[in-house]
Amino acid sequence: MRNPIALLRRRWSDSDDVRTDGGTVDSGQSFWNRDSVRSAPFWLPPFLLVGLFVYGAILWNIVLSLTDFQGLGSPDYSNLDFENYLAALADPIDGLLSVLPFVNGGAVEARSPSWAQLSVEPIWNSAWNTVVLMVGFTVVCLALGLALAILVDHKIRYENTFRTIYLLPMSLSFVVTAKFWLYMYNVETGLINVVITSLGFGAVEIVQNPDLKLPAVAFALVWQFSGYAMIVYLAGLRAIPTSHFEAARIDGASTLRMYRRVVLPQLRTATVSALVVLTVFALKAFDFLFSMYSGYQPGPSADILATRMVREAYANQNWAYGSTIAVVLFVMALFIVTPYIYSQYQRGEL
Amino acid sequence: MSKDNKGKRFSRRTVLMGAGAAGAAGLAGCIGGDDSNDGGNNSDGDGTGNQSGDGSGGSSGDMQPIQLLHAWSSGDGNAAIGALIEGFQEAHPDVEFGEEPVNGAARGNLDQVISNRLQSNDPPSTFQTWPGKTLQKFGDAYESIEEDVWTDDLTNNYLEGPKTQAQLDGTFVTVPLNIHRINNLFYNVSVVEEAGVDPTSLSSPADVVSACQQISDNTDAVPFAQQTSGTWSTTQLWETVLLAQAGIDGYESFINGEGDKAQVQSALENVVELSEFYPGDSSSIDFTEANTMVMEGDAAFIHQGDWAAGAYRGKDGFNYGEQWNQVTYPGTSGSYLLNMDSFPYFANNPSPEATKTFLSYCGTAEAQVLFNAEKGSIPPRGDADVSQLDTFQQDQYDDFNNADNQPPSIQHGLAVVPAIKTNIDAAFSGFLENYDAATTAQELVDSFK
Repeated sequence: MRNPIALLRRRWSDSDDVRTDGGTVDSGQSFWNRDSVRSAPFWLPPFLLVGLFVYGAILWNIVLSLTDFQGLGSPDYSNLDFENYLAALADPIDGLLSVLPFVNGGAVEARSPSWAQLSVEPIWNSAWNTVVLMVGFTVVCLALGLALAILVDHKIRYENTFRTIYLLPMSLSFVVTAKFWLYMYNVETGLINVVITSLGFGAVEIVQNPDLKLPAVAFALVWQFSGYAMIVYLAGLRAIPTSHFEAARIDGASTLRMYRRVVLPQLRTATVSALVVLTVFALKAFDFLFSMYSGYQPGPSADILATRMVREAYANQNWAYGSTIAVVLFVMALFIVTPYIYSQYQRGEL
Repeated sequence: MSKDNKGKRFSRRTVLMGAGAAGAAGLAGCIGGDDSNDGGNNSDGDGTGNQSGDGSGGSSGDMQPIQLLHAWSSGDGNAAIGALIEGFQEAHPDVEFGEEPVNGAARGNLDQVISNRLQSNDPPSTFQTWPGKTLQKFGDAYESIEEDVWTDDLTNNYLEGPKTQAQLDGTFVTVPLNIHRINNLFYNVSVVEEAGVDPTSLSSPADVVSACQQISDNTDAVPFAQQTSGTWSTTQLWETVLLAQAGIDGYESFINGEGDKAQVQSALENVVELSEFYPGDSSSIDFTEANTMVMEGDAAFIHQGDWAAGAYRGKDGFNYGEQWNQVTYPGTSGSYLLNMDSFPYFANNPSPEATKTFLSYCGTAEAQVLFNAEKGSIPPRGDADVSQLDTFQQDQYDDFNNADNQPPSIQHGLAVVPAIKTNIDAAFSGFLENYDAATTAQELVDSFK
């Protein structure tokens, strides 16, 4: 995400540079001759489109979340308040207590905002599940991707074949992988349980087991996307000059130390780009849950903000409340991505 | 060199202008496209809609083509809507049709498309929807058709249950097309015979549990084929058991928001007992696979709407009364638990006359027989000539005409408004995780708050 203003400024200053083809500097260039203006047909349409349809839509969604918009008709923008947020995040302390593991407490009461005929539940449960899924999936996926990349980078035979095999699951749609893992998790015939029972343990119910639902979803997503993390890391590894390894070796660094001090720091950019994409995929897990549980009711232990949001918006037509959940989701995504983007920016690597 | 440079500059500018023009055109295209493309989710529909729109101007005066949106894009549903439209076009060759199946074939998808179109004040002529309380979802968008469609012919010949469900707050706004029954217990004849169970002798949900035990003891078959990956099969099983145990009064109290928690919990407890007899992998299979178990003789019973029989029809050597049979779910005799599809009339209709002509046609016995012969359900009119339907449908139709009451289904959207149904679904999604009858009963009773 480049800052368009900075881009603009750079273009402005560029126009004073001596051209490489030997042209002379024309300090009296008119406004219309500036590169930034003359190149406007190239950058302006996408700039406007993205501005309107991405950032404009985000802003509109935030405004919508402040209204009481519900049912048919059009929203009333004259009376904006934070009522939906109060209902969604009601009882913050009890809410947190009710979702944290190993703490049994904090009963959360449903609230009745002024627009609602029925009371609405706060979003603590689905928010917590979203965080668990997002963090768990992303961390495991990155770690596994890195491990695979390091292995594949060792100039093994059939490297291309392995790379393709690991990457292939990513080309499948969520609907396919969800149905596929539904079979894999089958208690009687699924591969996972066949392995478990052949090791002498009893068969385990996975799909409707409240303790295993979310990990099972995360596992399936890791299967699908660790190949992608591997490719990104592999590109990062290949970009590290051999001289760095040689220098580290000469200085007597052990393999572990070399990876920690030389390799990992240089994979920062790769990590950020993989992280951003994986976070987005974790948020998109809606499709996966929708296919796996034939609808947007995956059950309380796997309910994420995305399923909750669609339920509120499309099943209940609580548009404003759905927007509120969308904003919470958006803020959560920002919380994860922003620190990395910012650190990159500070290092001038962005 | 300067000449050269000039030439370059000129060509670059030309390119820029060209690109600018293209960009502007693209932008205009996007904005324009956004306007004209209100059913944006409905990729398939666009083509059909445009085609019919183009054709309409020349041929048929002020009759606009009907925009019918439905999700019957495959299987028996598709054959049924095809037969209905064919019959309509033979009867009314002057009315044009712009039928638009919504891809994805899920009702939820269709609702989203309708919702988007209503938001932009561009309703279709009609669409496939559950009647009853589901009508409240787009309540204000419907218009009364009491005068034009619900003539004496319809009001005299529809049975009371479907007639009630066709009304929104006491006004007729939709035309029910078919009825699926929910309170059926289908079974594989040879499996129950092997176990020594006589399904016709069962008289309560508790008897079903004992019969399942007997099947489990005496055969290798799964006693009760059920899927638990989605909530819907469990919700409709519970509502059937509730109807059986609490009776029509208890059932109606529940759907009116005055449910007795003890009754609700007792029905859930019966479901918990039944769940002992589900297939071991019930959470990984869907309804089709569960139904196939009955067809293959791997399972004895299945509780389902009568669409289950549609699959049996298609299997050779698996005949009604011989290899498979059906009893009214034990304890619910006298009730015909309704699930219906209907076509409502939208206000601000794009084709008022044509839509009303079509809805009137859907209200005829002839149209309903054409549709239901393919769909496997029964006509909601009491005077239909069902000789064209199969034996099972004829038996169901007799049951329907002789039923004491026709309560609306909760799972299939007739009995409660969508927001309450969302709460009920959520309660059952939790029930499938832990089978905790007491907690779920409380959540179900609280669904109305």
